Amino acid sequence: MNEKLIKYISEQLLNNELEDDLEAEDDLLGDGILDSLGMMKLILYIETEYEMKVPPQDMIIENFMTVQHISDYLAKQRS
Amino acid sequence: MEFKDKMIHTLPNCIENSARLFPNKEAFRCGKTSLSFQELDIKTNQLAKHLVDSGIQKGDRIGIYMNRCIETSIAIYGILKAGAVYVPIDPISPRTRTKFLIENCGIQFLITVPKQKKRAAKLLVEDISLKQVIGFSDDSDIKHFSWESIFSITLESYQRVNILSEDMAYIIFTSGSTGDPKGIMHTHKSGLAYAQLSASLYKLRPQDRVANHAPLHFDISTFGYFSAPYAGATTVIIPDAPISLPVSLGALIAEEKISIWYSVPLALSQLLLSGVLDQHDYSAIRWVLFAGENFTLKYLKGIMEKWPQAKYSNVYGPTEVNQCTFYNFNAKEIFKDYVPIGDVWDNTEYKIIDEDDKEVHKGETGQLLIRSSTMMLGYWNNKELTEKSIYKQQISNNLEQVYYRTGDLVRQDNLDRLVFLGRKDRQVKVRGYRIELDEIEAVLNDHPSIKECTVCVLEKDNDQKILTAAIILTLGASTETNELITHCRSKLPTYAVPQRIDVLKNFPRTSSGKIDLTQIRKTLISQ
Repeated sequence: MNEKLIKYISEQLLNNELEDDLEAEDDLLGDGILDSLGMMKLILYIETEYEMKVPPQDMIIENFMTVQHISDYLAKQRS
Repeated sequence: MEFKDKMIHTLPNCIENSARLFPNKEAFRCGKTSLSFQELDIKTNQLAKHLVDSGIQKGDRIGIYMNRCIETSIAIYGILKAGAVYVPIDPISPRTRTKFLIENCGIQFLITVPKQKKRAAKLLVEDISLKQVIGFSDDSDIKHFSWESIFSITLESYQRVNILSEDMAYIIFTSGSTGDPKGIMHTHKSGLAYAQLSASLYKLRPQDRVANHAPLHFDISTFGYFSAPYAGATTVIIPDAPISLPVSLGALIAEEKISIWYSVPLALSQLLLSGVLDQHDYSAIRWVLFAGENFTLKYLKGIMEKWPQAKYSNVYGPTEVNQCTFYNFNAKEIFKDYVPIGDVWDNTEYKIIDEDDKEVHKGETGQLLIRSSTMMLGYWNNKELTEKSIYKQQISNNLEQVYYRTGDLVRQDNLDRLVFLGRKDRQVKVRGYRIELDEIEAVLNDHPSIKECTVCVLEKDNDQKILTAAIILTLGASTETNELITHCRSKLPTYAVPQRIDVLKNFPRTSSGKIDLTQIRKTLISQ
């Protein structure tokens, strides 16, 4: 799941070209990798791609800080 | 409020005064970090001493290369106390833009935080003009000083730099129409005038907790960084992460018991749409200020319903004059078509003029001119542009009054309130950022595959403004739009990169041969 998310973020959402490849542990929010519009697009992508709904109360730092956080969150939702 | 017998005539005086009156009160906080006024006063003295001892002279420009963090407050006031000028540099803007700012301002000292180490290191490889970096230690050729080393400086031999209110305090860069960003210079006098006028208008008091949502390179931040410390209030710097996640942001506002909120309308609309405003207690909020672009009425109404106890202020003012007008209202106010920008505040006057610089009749549309104590010193390194931006009213042979030409079209409504109608030229605002459409076109036109292009802002039904480029490719070119986006990213700040690029076969023209923008918009919207 990580690779797929990393691929989408790297190819579609990057604010700025990164010097190094995006890693699952990179801070997406605090490091300026994604802005608020990017985050909205990412959530939309997740909803379409994984055929699920991310309720607003789940759109919090704890679930979306890194690609790893997102993967963990998705795994929990789908189990 | 009482300031006893101390005169306040520079920005650092605000900190010194509040440190005297409320030494242990929280001045700034960000996440888990916080500084009292006394701590801030001492730490900024330490930074100032270090800068002066390192050879910084009055008027030298120093870059602040930071994300949203507590150190921003130390950097600003440390630089100002050293008599130097602070220049905010957005760490996530492209390196070419950062390099331009550093070179254009002759910046030799950069103040940053460990979090930016990787980015700063990349920058240092290219920028030989930098002499010193403060914020983390490193073994490279350039001198580095960690924050720990700054905070261990003793102040026995510290001598305050004599600063005058006319001295320059900061330069904020916005995008320029020639492609290069323009630096707007403000003095201690204009910055302090803003702090005093806004503190008085919104009756700021020491108990207030002011949210700072804007990054330093956006002048809305001067409310949190100047006005709040002036009044002895606490500024809560919103960290980067909640900025992108409204639900977390909403929780933070409630948890921090924010009493004054100031941001672009978009941040408020996102809070409203996330549903978070039903989940917490927001009774502490007493003022909601918004600026930067028009607030879509349905969202403003939504916020007013959620926060009925608050007062609201539609703030207007180009960075050149910071704020200059306001329209204050309460949650019961009913708006039919627009929210006025109201009237000019104290120590400020205005005129509305036509194309021939003649004042228009009451109710007619024209360009707004502003004369105010918050007026900039001019554009950095650009006398010509400064001259062009100014309107002089001759009073007598040797007396003239200077107005700033805002380039904004306004009119007075039948209640004598000013109404904002749009940019005179092609400068637009998207998500609060000022963008010159011509600048983006110039960058696109640089690309060999582009034959012709035009950039516009499309408004979608859900209130999103989409920066859109329509292009015609040169014969035989097969460039992907992704490549063009990458090209823009390397030359423009993030917020000025088109979000959408449409390839057209040809552009519709008006009878005079100009590109028919209205028609192009229609085509783009239908695609």
